[in-house]
Amino acid sequence: MTNNRREILAIAGAASLAGFAGFRGGSQMHPDAKSKLPLAGQTSPVAVVKAASYSEDLAGAMMRGILECGLDVAGKRVLLKPNFVEFDPNTCINTDVAVVAAALDVFRSLGATVKIGEGPGHRRDTFAMAELTRYRSEIAQFDDVFVDLNREDVSPVQGFADRGTFYFPNSVLAADLIVSLAKMKTHHWAGATLSMKNYFGLVPGSIYGWPKNELHYIGINKSILELTRIFGPKSFALVDGIVGMEGNGPIQGTPKKAGVLVMGSDLAAVDATCCRIMGIDPARVEYLQGAADRLGVIEESRIEQRGEAIAGVRTNFQLIKEYSQLRLA
Amino acid sequence: MPGLSPDRGVYLEARLGALRRNQNSDGGWGYFPGKASWLEPTAYAALALAGDPAADRAWTLLSSWQLPDGSWKPSADVNISNWGTSLCATIAMARGEWGPPLKSSVNWLVGSTGIESGWLNVLVARLGLVKQERDISLKSWPWKPGNSGWVEPTVHALVALKLAAARLSSPELHERVRMGEAQLLDVRSRDGGWNYGSPAALGVDLPSFPETTALALVALQGRSDLGKAFDLAQRQIGETPSPLARAWLTIAMRLHGVKTADLTGDPPLDTMITALEALAAPQGNYKLMQTGTGAQAGAVA
Repeated sequence: MTNNRREILAIAGAASLAGFAGFRGGSQMHPDAKSKLPLAGQTSPVAVVKAASYSEDLAGAMMRGILECGLDVAGKRVLLKPNFVEFDPNTCINTDVAVVAAALDVFRSLGATVKIGEGPGHRRDTFAMAELTRYRSEIAQFDDVFVDLNREDVSPVQGFADRGTFYFPNSVLAADLIVSLAKMKTHHWAGATLSMKNYFGLVPGSIYGWPKNELHYIGINKSILELTRIFGPKSFALVDGIVGMEGNGPIQGTPKKAGVLVMGSDLAAVDATCCRIMGIDPARVEYLQGAADRLGVIEESRIEQRGEAIAGVRTNFQLIKEYSQLRLA
Repeated sequence: MPGLSPDRGVYLEARLGALRRNQNSDGGWGYFPGKASWLEPTAYAALALAGDPAADRAWTLLSSWQLPDGSWKPSADVNISNWGTSLCATIAMARGEWGPPLKSSVNWLVGSTGIESGWLNVLVARLGLVKQERDISLKSWPWKPGNSGWVEPTVHALVALKLAAARLSSPELHERVRMGEAQLLDVRSRDGGWNYGSPAALGVDLPSFPETTALALVALQGRSDLGKAFDLAQRQIGETPSPLARAWLTIAMRLHGVKTADLTGDPPLDTMITALEALAAPQGNYKLMQTGTGAQAGAVA
């Protein structure tokens, strides 16, 4: 019986590996998720700030959004978690270096001790990736502030999905605040990859391998929810939507200008707002459904929109045909 | 185990010296100096320093990390079977230690497979119910049990099993080697190299990466049908910013007897890359991964 269940789960994983068009990341939810609605009735602030290009005053834009959200980081240990899962010079997979550099300046200026950490999903040489993405050349003393989360020393966390003990990098566990510096992208197995999905890069490759295949077998949506459940309470989302990715994301899509930075402490609310900007109905994105009222707020009426109104910045991202049903009316 | 070469050059000595200086008191190495010991950097450093007392201390530590089922865990505190079992088996054979610990690790490797190759998945694929971009009936090796097979762990398992075939031959071992080589060839990217696991996603070709292309070549020693991959590797070694990729590409070409330029520069801070660069040096111990052809291992017709 156990073997049969493993085999069935394996189909989902193998399908994800092979690009099975019908696979949408599994439907497993956290066992507690359906019985508790701890956030029912709560509202969450989300700031949308316009930024037309990476050469603008991004630090100023970020500062406005952070202040709108009431974030206080003075004296805190902050880990910036950008997305550089992979590199392709012909598209825009990664959180742009200008956004990472500006965030480093902003959080330092707010009195935080700041590190940058990422565990790329596909490539082994993280520092070479940082070179390709220009992080290493354009962020002063990058090697001194950067932590390769794939190869850092780890400590156990109990109760991650059905795995019992799961290991995470010490910098992640020690941080008072993790800033999910995500890229606004479509995702061919999850619908969209934003601040919550970005936390796949917190899982150490030294134990779980590349491309963090363990999370695919747990279930992509379930893993997103579990990572958000564990790290969401000490998180702040800052999504790079200046130029996002549409179509066959998160690697092989095409650049799409949205001209915004989206911020907030409620990762689900930020991701739901990003979805609306992208012309995606967040209520149809499985992991956001699972997060609603359990890990965050996704209803538009309960998100306190600060800065730009969504209608003013909405620009529909192209969706692959398998996700056409996600289109926001 | 080979002794130290009398004239190994400044490049190699600089790396071996750095490794000796950065060895932890428990005998292992962290991924970076001053960090806790992990199997992967310790194993590569032990291979690079083979014959040196530092390698003996490393092996003492690694030996203490073997689990009862024959596999190895990745660090002192993480009790999860790990692909690095292959590296430890290779070290054991390089040291001439063919006893029960090696046999149990080889048995574990022979029985280890990517979960996608389970019978139900293969049946579903054969019935055409799931679109596959690789032949999942060809068994490969995962990073850890319960995951899919990928290029890098498959490469290291093939190296270990081909070396093991010299004295621990069995039909099962030969079949896994034959199938593992076939699997690597099946997942080759259209450009002639290798991505990290699959040649395509959602019907779109994936490009090869230099490090995984190099690793696949290490596993496919002795084959005569890899010319396009060498052309690609020669180009990649000049273009990649990754010292990890350059080290593996150099090791791969040396193992295939392909002429390649020597690596230059100062040792990096990264322990694993330091060890791989030492292995890649002209007088380095890359030959400890020399398996001969698959046919010599009794595996490829």
